[in-house]
Amino acid sequence: MAIESSVATPVAWPRRHMGKLLLLLIVVAWLVFGAPKSRVFQALIQWSPSLAIGFGQNILISLVAIALGSVLGLLVGALALSPLKLARLPARIWVQIFRNAPWLVLIYFTTYVFPFEIHIGSSYISFPDWVKVTIGLALPASANVAEIFRGAIASIPSTQWEAARSLAFTRGQIFRSIILPQCFKRMLPPWMNLYAVITMGTALASLVGVHDVIDTAQIASNTVNITGFTVLIYLSLLALFFAYCYPISRLTQRLERRYAFY
Amino acid sequence: MSHWLELFVHWTAGFGLNYSFLLDAYQRGTLTAGAWTSILLCLFTIVGSLLAGVALAAMLTSGKPWLAKPARVFIEVTRNTPTLVQLYCAFLVLNMLLTQAVGAANPLTPFAWVVIVISLHKGAFHAEALRAGIEAVPAVTLEAASSLAFSSRQLLWNVQLPLAVRFALPSLINNLIDLVKMTAVASAIAVGDITYASIMIWTQSDNVLELMILILTFFGLLSFIVNCVGRVLEARLRMPGYGH
Repeated sequence: MAIESSVATPVAWPRRHMGKLLLLLIVVAWLVFGAPKSRVFQALIQWSPSLAIGFGQNILISLVAIALGSVLGLLVGALALSPLKLARLPARIWVQIFRNAPWLVLIYFTTYVFPFEIHIGSSYISFPDWVKVTIGLALPASANVAEIFRGAIASIPSTQWEAARSLAFTRGQIFRSIILPQCFKRMLPPWMNLYAVITMGTALASLVGVHDVIDTAQIASNTVNITGFTVLIYLSLLALFFAYCYPISRLTQRLERRYAFY
Repeated sequence: MSHWLELFVHWTAGFGLNYSFLLDAYQRGTLTAGAWTSILLCLFTIVGSLLAGVALAAMLTSGKPWLAKPARVFIEVTRNTPTLVQLYCAFLVLNMLLTQAVGAANPLTPFAWVVIVISLHKGAFHAEALRAGIEAVPAVTLEAASSLAFSSRQLLWNVQLPLAVRFALPSLINNLIDLVKMTAVASAIAVGDITYASIMIWTQSDNVLELMILILTFFGLLSFIVNCVGRVLEARLRMPGYGH
């Protein structure tokens, strides 16, 4: 009797997404008819360019942080796999410290401990806050990438190593032509997940005075000072981050299912 | 006590670290109060997040679309937006509306808001882990239980959840360690946790590095404790032939 239900035919597209379509219709209708007259909405339109610039700052921080973190993390991960114990130990300590420290504390750390300008020769190079925050996010990112890398290598069955060695491959050759190509596929979903988490972590930048989207929203809500606008602008912050991170997480799930290994 | 502190200050001075603020009764008091607030925050949010997680997981696996759909939407929104923005949405928006509605009688302090927001945030992650655990319960077990006339609530509470918890324990502990680290965000809305207390101290006496080491040790210790409790629970709950 459970047989009929298990082979239920999928509903046609418009009917499956009835609720979402209805919601979209209501929002569009409100935007066209209700919104242009209200002061709150006009203020939001007025502030939206600076919100967009602020969000651009967030995305810039997240991109640089994941790039730095990946490079650093792959180095640390490679160290952690080395046969020498002396090389493994620092990598392990690095991973343990930066995975277990709160991100906010690390961001405070890099912001306040690093100098605000660097003195090279006779010239001073300024060291802006957002770079410090980026480094503060890249440190935990590197520790996580190192773990992802180590996990991916460890997930390759050891029989492959043995088989490759019996074909007289050297250790380096096994890594380059057998193990690593398989690892990339396995690392991709968790790496993308990490990127989404880092993007959400960039929200913390506002706490150390980086002029990002949240800082902009706070300034806007204090300047306009209408209750409705405050509600709207914080909700639009939620919506912005959601719109950026949700597709990444959906894609991650898709890739996870596709690359699922047994 | 103060003798040991003096020894410690003296010892660290050898490395060029200036911990002399620990000898000052006022600053030491701020820091201990902050540490205590952080610990309380962790305890409340751990309990709250587990409750929220069980409730959300029950909604997800209830099989009723009007329960499962809102839970799914809530979880997706929570997982894909920053905690800080959620905290601001709760504290600066909901709290403002609440204060406008009831005036000064608003019962919710910043501390309460942090507990609520982090509980719900981590509850969403717990719910995902528990859902996987609930779905991993063998269908035969469920059929056996329902043939013994268990109602669906009894089924969830007495059969599915105990097994699901065993299955989901590693990721639950992982979430809880994350939760402990996340409580640092409370300083953003001026809850006097250890991070906030340290900010107060270092704005006065400019000893960031020393305080950073202190905070990192504190959070390291807290996550270590959670990890140990998790290990003990895992060993204690282990059932031969089930789970890992």
